[in-house]
Amino acid sequence: MDTYRWLLALHVSGAFLLIGGGVLAAAFSVAAARSDGPREIALFLGLVRVAVPAVVLGSLLTLALGLWLVAERDYSMTDPWIALSLVVFVAGLLAGQVGGVRDRETRVLAQKLAAERVDIANDELRARMRDPLARALSWGSGAAMVAVLGLMIWKPGA
Amino acid sequence: MKPETQLFFHVLGAIVLFGATAAVATLALAGRGRDEPRPIARATLAILLVLAVPAWIATLAFGIWTESAGDWPDGLTWVDFGFRVTDVGLLVVLVSAALAYRWIRRPTGRWAPSAIGFLNTLYLAALAVAWWVMTTKLPA
Repeated sequence: MDTYRWLLALHVSGAFLLIGGGVLAAAFSVAAARSDGPREIALFLGLVRVAVPAVVLGSLLTLALGLWLVAERDYSMTDPWIALSLVVFVAGLLAGQVGGVRDRETRVLAQKLAAERVDIANDELRARMRDPLARALSWGSGAAMVAVLGLMIWKPGA
Repeated sequence: MKPETQLFFHVLGAIVLFGATAAVATLALAGRGRDEPRPIARATLAILLVLAVPAWIATLAFGIWTESAGDWPDGLTWVDFGFRVTDVGLLVVLVSAALAYRWIRRPTGRWAPSAIGFLNTLYLAALAVAWWVMTTKLPA
């Protein structure tokens, strides 16, 4: 197997880990949002952490091997689809990071209420679960990564 | 429709199927032996029906479409392997859904979540091998 195929396979593996991890996190976030009790909310938001290693490893693999592939195939960083992909990728990572911090604060609050044996989410926890900014950041991050996948496959302007 | 469109939805379907399978395996393993596993069992069934089934359909349908538009010769190992893994996926999803339903009905039993966790962990590995084989197109 030549270098190009190795790089491509590892680059695609990174995309599977990154977006697949995002799907896992989104599924658990939705499960948490549909729960009433702090115990269940804390449980599902706690499970979101399982996705973190996959997303981090996937991000590193995708970016590092993507840049290596650019050099290997004589593409240019100024090619529209590559430049746009990089911008959208970084924006997606930043949105995911900020959204993740807000989700972590929500999880800590849910864990605190669960430890106090509160059965129904209070107003603060409900407000955090419905926080439109946190939702926009998390879903926007996922949409950005799907857009990058599209750019990688269509290669507009190539 | 451009061939890239079919490939995009095939790859996206496979990635969502991978994420859904990982979520189901995680929930099943986390739910074993819990005092009140019913919310986890319900979430497991919901992910299988709402996420895994549509993702499986998209992976297969757009995979067939991509292959038919690709003008590849018959009998390519990497193509056949991808289809075999996708075929097995339907069985995994349906058996897991049946087991999740049973888990909801009898939440104290441990074997249903154990079986769901085992099946989906195994299928996760199969999906990883499939994307590797299909990306490298080896052995041709």
